[in-house]
Amino acid sequence: MPDIYTNEWYDAVREAMNASAATLNGVPTGSFVVAVEIVGDGLSPYVEQGSTRHFLVKIDAGRCEWYREIASSEDERRAAGRGVDYRFTGSATAFDEIACGVLDPIDAALRGTVRVRGDMRFLMRHAEHVNALLGAYSREVDTTWPSGMPPYGVPSAAAAASDVVGTDAMMRRDGESIGA
Amino acid sequence: MRDAFDAVIIGAGHNGLTLGCYLARCGMEVVVLERRHEEGGGLATEELTLPGFLHNVHANYHTFVEMAPAISDLEVENHGVSYVRPEVQMASIFEDGTALTIHSDLDKTCASIARFSEEDAETFARLYKEAHGYVDLLLGTLMYQPPMSVKELTKALAAFGVEDRSEFLGVKLRRETINWFLERHFTHPKVKAHLAFHGAVCGYANDVPGLAIGFPLLVGKIDNWHLCVGGSHRLAHGLWRDLAQHGGVMVSDAEVSRIEVEGGRAVGVVLADGTEITARRLVASTVDVEQTFLSMLPAESVPSPLRAKVEGGLAHQKWSLFSVHLALSETPHYRAAEFDPDVDRAWVVNLGYGSTAELDADWAEIRAGRLPASARPNAAVNSLYDPTDAPEGCFTGLLRQFAPYALADGGPARWDEIGRWYGRHCIEAWENYAPNLAGTVIDWVPYTPADIPRKIRNMVEGDWMMGEISLDNMLDQRPLPELGQYRTPVEGLYMAGSTQHPHGFITFGPAYNALQVIAEDCGLETWWREI
Repeated sequence: MPDIYTNEWYDAVREAMNASAATLNGVPTGSFVVAVEIVGDGLSPYVEQGSTRHFLVKIDAGRCEWYREIASSEDERRAAGRGVDYRFTGSATAFDEIACGVLDPIDAALRGTVRVRGDMRFLMRHAEHVNALLGAYSREVDTTWPSGMPPYGVPSAAAAASDVVGTDAMMRRDGESIGA
Repeated sequence: MRDAFDAVIIGAGHNGLTLGCYLARCGMEVVVLERRHEEGGGLATEELTLPGFLHNVHANYHTFVEMAPAISDLEVENHGVSYVRPEVQMASIFEDGTALTIHSDLDKTCASIARFSEEDAETFARLYKEAHGYVDLLLGTLMYQPPMSVKELTKALAAFGVEDRSEFLGVKLRRETINWFLERHFTHPKVKAHLAFHGAVCGYANDVPGLAIGFPLLVGKIDNWHLCVGGSHRLAHGLWRDLAQHGGVMVSDAEVSRIEVEGGRAVGVVLADGTEITARRLVASTVDVEQTFLSMLPAESVPSPLRAKVEGGLAHQKWSLFSVHLALSETPHYRAAEFDPDVDRAWVVNLGYGSTAELDADWAEIRAGRLPASARPNAAVNSLYDPTDAPEGCFTGLLRQFAPYALADGGPARWDEIGRWYGRHCIEAWENYAPNLAGTVIDWVPYTPADIPRKIRNMVEGDWMMGEISLDNMLDQRPLPELGQYRTPVEGLYMAGSTQHPHGFITFGPAYNALQVIAEDCGLETWWREI
């Protein structure tokens, strides 16, 4: 099982997404690029507090064609070849929780935990396909959590104020079974 | 004035100017033509009473600040436009001397509601937080994109399982009234009355089926009401400055009498004085459908079925607004301040609606062309938060009463006879709640529903939303299915005013959405879509 956010992990996510999309009829034609901004919140050990990890994902004809981690949003346009079509922004904890199936991605979008920008009509018109991609991302990849698995067990505000508490909580979670 | 432009825009209201600004920033040569003596349309600020008293004749409440993309895209703050978000946004004052206040601080709002019902306060907090969570999604889906159909939206809501995930959103809302929503979720009549009143001020009558679908979004921005410092016209002026800085031209006293069509394509306009202006790429109308399709376009260029629909009458709001603009020497001190001192700082105040049934009864009277049995105007004192709008030590006041455009006993012309009388009646209603106002009114003028289309011709039948707010006149059905995506049967002619989705109010939505369609048709680089 690959470690979260490694190349191997993204390969697994891509394969899961494409396998899921292959089961659908009428996937959308055309391509679009999604920028994902994962903001360090002091809880997740995978993104340093105050920093942001940037990923680009290209979906073409319903399949994930490629993904890239890039240094900063300034590199996005060049990396994408053109402007991005969607941007998902959220805390690292939120994305970690989605990846391990603790947080439902649709709930996260509805509650503003993950902010979604872009032409919503396309997403709405292809809701079934979007559900399939999100489902694959959040449920169909077995993941290793080398530094701890969410939920990290403390309120985010408190955690932001105390790295010690956050670390303790993460250490406790390390012992839990993966995919629980 | 040059006689040829890439884009000719009819109407210099906020939508016409906004579209002009975007297109000018795209490098187009743009002219915006305005019938009146100044830009702004509904963004009109005039010294209606006395010199130095700035009255917003139409648009007073800017509720999409920090939400509408145009505000940031066009950098209006760099053009002398600034806003205040009042701490006490709104209040309802009830006949028994109690009051409910909406604050920019959610906790204070909930504390106010809790004085009537703790359960309702908790419900409101959940609704507000839920709505705030998806307000970006709703704005992106429902406001600032060319519209989807209700059927598409319903299907998507079902596919995403929104009903199971949300306490307040659901597919069934598309058939329900705001009253239904309030009955389902809230308990106290006064809480329900206030929330219904808030919807009504936004143009959403609480008894119209289908409008419940928009209610969570209204609540999501219930504390986002902004006042344009120096008067609403400052925004129009700021947009004009942006247009001019990017090479665009706004021409006032330029009434368009005809849109020229050649080979099925709009190629220019002719002004009332005979001036001919060529449109190299497009003509966009931000005025009403009736003028555009019955007066400006050659009859042969409008398909007969469309012409018949427009001639048959479009769906307009069945209620209008009667306004009183006042020059005051004091701000109101409400009796209800004994119950809640914050009412004296409330920007917008509902004077007396204490139940949804009272609103329902008034809607029935108004739709029958009759005045409500009791005047229950809403009152705004802009000077509380913008002292620049009146001479030192003085204040402006604005009363607005829901009212019919055409009175049953004499039609709209009857307003010219009763305007002063009814204005006095509304002032007395205000004085009943704030006795100190007696003797502090320096001057006042009525502005009746009949005055509305006289000043702003677009607002047909006093319809300040430029089209009924109802499920049948919403999204891609607004104002007609043939025109619902901003294109028209005449190639190169677009509709970009408040007749279009989403609706009137200072949303910038019609212009912004028409821009997306124009960009697609004209192959413009969409620089504004910084996702």
